[in-house]
Amino acid sequence: MESITSSFRDPCGFIFKHENFIYRQVNRAGAGDFDRFIDSGLYQALVDKRYLLQHEDVTDTDIPRTDICHRILRPTQLKYISYPYEWCFSQLQDAAMLTLRVQTIALKFGFSLKDASAYNVQFADGKPVFIDTLSFASYHEGQPWVAYRQFCQHFFAPLALMAHVDINLGKLLVTNIDGIPLDLASKLLPQRTRLSMGLQTHVHLHAKLQSSYSDIASETSNRKKSKASASLRKISKRGLQGIVESLATAVRKLKLAVSDTQWANYYNETNYTDDATASKQGLVVKFLAEIEDPLDVIHDLGSNTGEFSRIASEYAELVVSQDIDPVAVEKNYLQVRSGSCASNILPLLQDLGAPAPAIGWANAERDSLIQRAQCDVIMALALVHHLAIGNNVPLEQIASFFSQIGKRLIIEFVPKTDSQVIRMLTTREDIFKDYDQAGFESAFSEYFTVERRESIAGSERHLYLMKRNVQREPEPSLELHA
Amino acid sequence: MAGIMFPISAFAYLDPGTGSIILQGLIAALAATAVVMRAYWYKIKGFFGKSESKSLTEEEGFDTDEESDSKS
Repeated sequence: MESITSSFRDPCGFIFKHENFIYRQVNRAGAGDFDRFIDSGLYQALVDKRYLLQHEDVTDTDIPRTDICHRILRPTQLKYISYPYEWCFSQLQDAAMLTLRVQTIALKFGFSLKDASAYNVQFADGKPVFIDTLSFASYHEGQPWVAYRQFCQHFFAPLALMAHVDINLGKLLVTNIDGIPLDLASKLLPQRTRLSMGLQTHVHLHAKLQSSYSDIASETSNRKKSKASASLRKISKRGLQGIVESLATAVRKLKLAVSDTQWANYYNETNYTDDATASKQGLVVKFLAEIEDPLDVIHDLGSNTGEFSRIASEYAELVVSQDIDPVAVEKNYLQVRSGSCASNILPLLQDLGAPAPAIGWANAERDSLIQRAQCDVIMALALVHHLAIGNNVPLEQIASFFSQIGKRLIIEFVPKTDSQVIRMLTTREDIFKDYDQAGFESAFSEYFTVERRESIAGSERHLYLMKRNVQREPEPSLELHA
Repeated sequence: MAGIMFPISAFAYLDPGTGSIILQGLIAALAATAVVMRAYWYKIKGFFGKSESKSLTEEEGFDTDEESDSKS
């Protein structure tokens, strides 16, 4: 039994790993609510709508457990875990709406969510899914929604900031593991947002009341205490649902300020003639088809709007499609969500020059990119020059990094004669003496063996298929977490 | 403080925040009215043949009438 270091707060249960599977133990403390959750039909209702991750009850097996165990569950295993700071605007918005839908149905059955953390949601099959089966507590009329504050910090505040201030502000969630503080969000949002009912209520007024009553525990003034208790009105079930509905309206109203030209510019920002594009696509298909081993997960790094991820999606169970540009990831996700392409693609936001770190308690609550990104194939198309020249990373270190994640590599070498690289070097000194095809192959052969090398017709670029050298297999400790 | 006023589940491990609880108390009455109003508003719109997008409450079949409250 290996503990999962992010699962420790809820006395009703926890997640653990055993022989490479993830399990959930329901403790006796959570038995009442959990049994009622199943018996009332709420679990099935949520699973039928595909809102909640299904699980199998494996209590009557030899899966190890602690002595306070009530039941052991094996949830449907997810192929990749992503975090809210890696999601584009619409992914976070869809996760928020899902949480509110789950809360609505829960209330219908006499339950209420104990928490509304963005980490309760994961993406599977192109859609968000709620994974925290233990989040459902019995609802008693009169009580407020205990998770309301968390919902506003994890979902509403970052979405509002992305829509009204800057699309990149979702990244504030990296340094604010329990969501964006509402007083900060209130300060950052433009004053005109005070005219919007949802924002004024759930962010601005919310922030004000939070700070007014923050010292109530140590406050010795009886006047303030009795004033507070007088304000603690009972909240009817309809009132609670009204608050959920109000949040839903406010979340739905939020839209990114992206111009039409910005949307249209993608994939025009490349160097390809139609011939070169067709050639590259053909080569990627050829290389993927050649790999004999069955492919589980492919990581398409620097995937832009996911054009090549869609090609790869036919060759693997899951393609994680990562790019630094939030508008590109948004466009990618909207296409996957619309159902007009394969659904086994997971678009994510990632800056490979500073990838997602391990954060939270003991730097171990949420895993870094390297800890999660073990895969069968890495696709690094139109990427290496951005890392080597744009980010000054030596080719040997790029190879090392890739070898820690991928068993195989499909990589495009973009030489200095390529017009995009020429543009990159016009205003800076060319210190990249070893940046040429020979230097590239030499650096990568430390970690990989070249299986195929082909030139992309109509361009200066080459596409490689490489296999990681046996002695470069990563250490097991990197695979500790799911 | 809230623990004295309401029977919040003993295993709601999260700190709900005093200010957040107070805010909910302030807006609940208005929000409840809005849910009922919205239901009637959509019924009226439906009468005129407009296929309106539903509220979340309606989409997920949350009953707004009294009888369903008896469950809790």
